[in-house]
Amino acid sequence: MVNFLYYGLVLVFSMFLMHPVYLAISLLGAFCYSVWLQGRKAVRFTVLGLLPMAAFAALINPAFNHEGATILTYLPSGNPMTLESILYGFAAAAMLAAIVLWFSSYNEIMTSDKFVYLFGRVIPALSLVLSMTLRFVPKFKAQLQTVMEAQRCVGRDTSNGSLPQRLKSAARVFSIMLTWSMENAIETADSMRSRGYGLPGRSAFSIYRFDSRDRAAIGWLLLCGAYVASGWIAGGARFRYYPTVKAAPVLPLTVSFALVYLALCMTPVLIDWWDGRVWDAVRKEVSS
Amino acid sequence: MKKLLGLLLALLLLCGCASQTDAADDTAAPGTGKDTFQTDPVPEGKPEPVEPQESEVTDAAFTCTISISCATILDHMDNLDPEKTELVPEDGWILQPVAASFHQGESVFDVLLRVCQENKIHMEYSDTPMYNSAYIEGIGNLYEFDCGNLSGWMYKVNDWFPNYGCSRYALQDGDVVCWVYTCDLGADVGDNSMTS
Repeated sequence: MVNFLYYGLVLVFSMFLMHPVYLAISLLGAFCYSVWLQGRKAVRFTVLGLLPMAAFAALINPAFNHEGATILTYLPSGNPMTLESILYGFAAAAMLAAIVLWFSSYNEIMTSDKFVYLFGRVIPALSLVLSMTLRFVPKFKAQLQTVMEAQRCVGRDTSNGSLPQRLKSAARVFSIMLTWSMENAIETADSMRSRGYGLPGRSAFSIYRFDSRDRAAIGWLLLCGAYVASGWIAGGARFRYYPTVKAAPVLPLTVSFALVYLALCMTPVLIDWWDGRVWDAVRKEVSS
Repeated sequence: MKKLLGLLLALLLLCGCASQTDAADDTAAPGTGKDTFQTDPVPEGKPEPVEPQESEVTDAAFTCTISISCATILDHMDNLDPEKTELVPEDGWILQPVAASFHQGESVFDVLLRVCQENKIHMEYSDTPMYNSAYIEGIGNLYEFDCGNLSGWMYKVNDWFPNYGCSRYALQDGDVVCWVYTCDLGADVGDNSMTS
C-alpha cells in the first residue's frame, strides 16, 4: 500500500511536471533508487538502453516540431529549427527516462503478491490475470533459454548453418515454445483447480500488516504529495517552452516546493540507507 | 499531446507522399467538378492553379508586394492562447507591406518562405499531398487554432482568396499578396466562401 501510493505520486508528478528542475529531481531520484536496488545492472541499463533512447527522443522533436521564437537554422525542408523545440525535446527525453527508471524499480518492489494483496478484493479476476501474465514473460524467457541451449547441444541452434537451415531451427524453437506454453497453461489450470480455485470463501495469502511505520510513511507521503501538488496548482512548477522559454519566478516558496519534491523522490533510498546503518550498528553491538 | 499528434500526422504525410503523387495524374473525381486535388472550379477571370511540380521557374525577375497581418486577433484577445499574447504586435502587422522580388513561375508559398527567412520571421508549414500544396500552420509562432476553433492563416492575392493552396498559386508581376489571420473561418477578413 505504501509502495503503491509512493509510485502513484511519483509517477504522476514525473509525468505532469515539465519544469526542468523537477524533471532533474525525478530523474535523480529514479536513478539513485534503481542503482540502490539493482546495482551495476541499473547503471548498465541506463547507459546502454536509456541514454540512446533519450538522445533519440531529444533529437526527434526538433525534426518534427518547429514552434519557438529563437530560430537557430533552417531544415532542408524550409521549416525552422528552434531552440525551444530542442529544449522541449530534451525535457521530454528526461521525462521518458525518469518514467522508465521509476518503472524498473517499481518492478523490483511491487512483486505480484503485493499486487494481488492490494487488489485481490476489488478486482480479483483482473489482478490474478495480470499477475499471471506478468509472471509468464520471465518464465517464457527462461524456458526459451533452456530450449535454445538444448538445441545447441544437438547442433541444431539458430547460429549454425545456412540461412534456410537457421530459419528451420528457429521455427523449431518457436514451435517447441508454443507447445510448451500451451502445456504449461493446462498444467497451471489443473493445479489451480486441484487447489480449489473458484470455491467460495477463499482468501488471498498475505504477510503484510499495517503497523505504525506504515502509518508514518503514509503520513509523510501524503504530506509531501499535498505540498508538491499545492505548489503545482499554485503555478510554482510552471514552465513554458513555447513560444519562448519562461519559468516560474525563483522565490523561497517555489524553491521549497522543489526541495519537498526532492525529499519525496529520495525517500525510499534514504529509508533503506538508514535501515542499513541501524542494522550495521546493531550487528556490531552484538558481535563485540 | 498536440506535439504527438503532429508527429503522427507528419509520419502519415510522409507515407502518403509517395502514393499520392502517382495518383495525381489520374482523372478527377467524376461528377463533382473538382480537380484531382479536391479544388472546386475556379471563378471566371481568376488564375487557374499551377501544380508546383510542373511550373517552370525562369530567370525573369518580377516584383510583388507581400504583407502579413494578424489584426483580427486584436478584436479577439480574450480567445487567444494566454501564452501568446506577447506575440501579437500592437498594430497587428507582423510584416508591413514590402516589395519582394521573385522569379517567374514561383508560387505564393515560395515567396512567403523566402520573405520569412530573410526577415527572421518564424513560419511553419506542412505539406498536404491531398491538396498538393503546403499548409501554413503558423507564422510568428501564431498557429492555427490559437485564437478559437475557427482561426488560422489565409492568403489573398489582389484581394481575392484563392480556393486552392498557396503552393499552386503562380504569382504574376505586380501581384499584391496579403497573409491574414482569421478568427472566424475567413468571414472577418473578407472571405465568405465558407460561411455563405
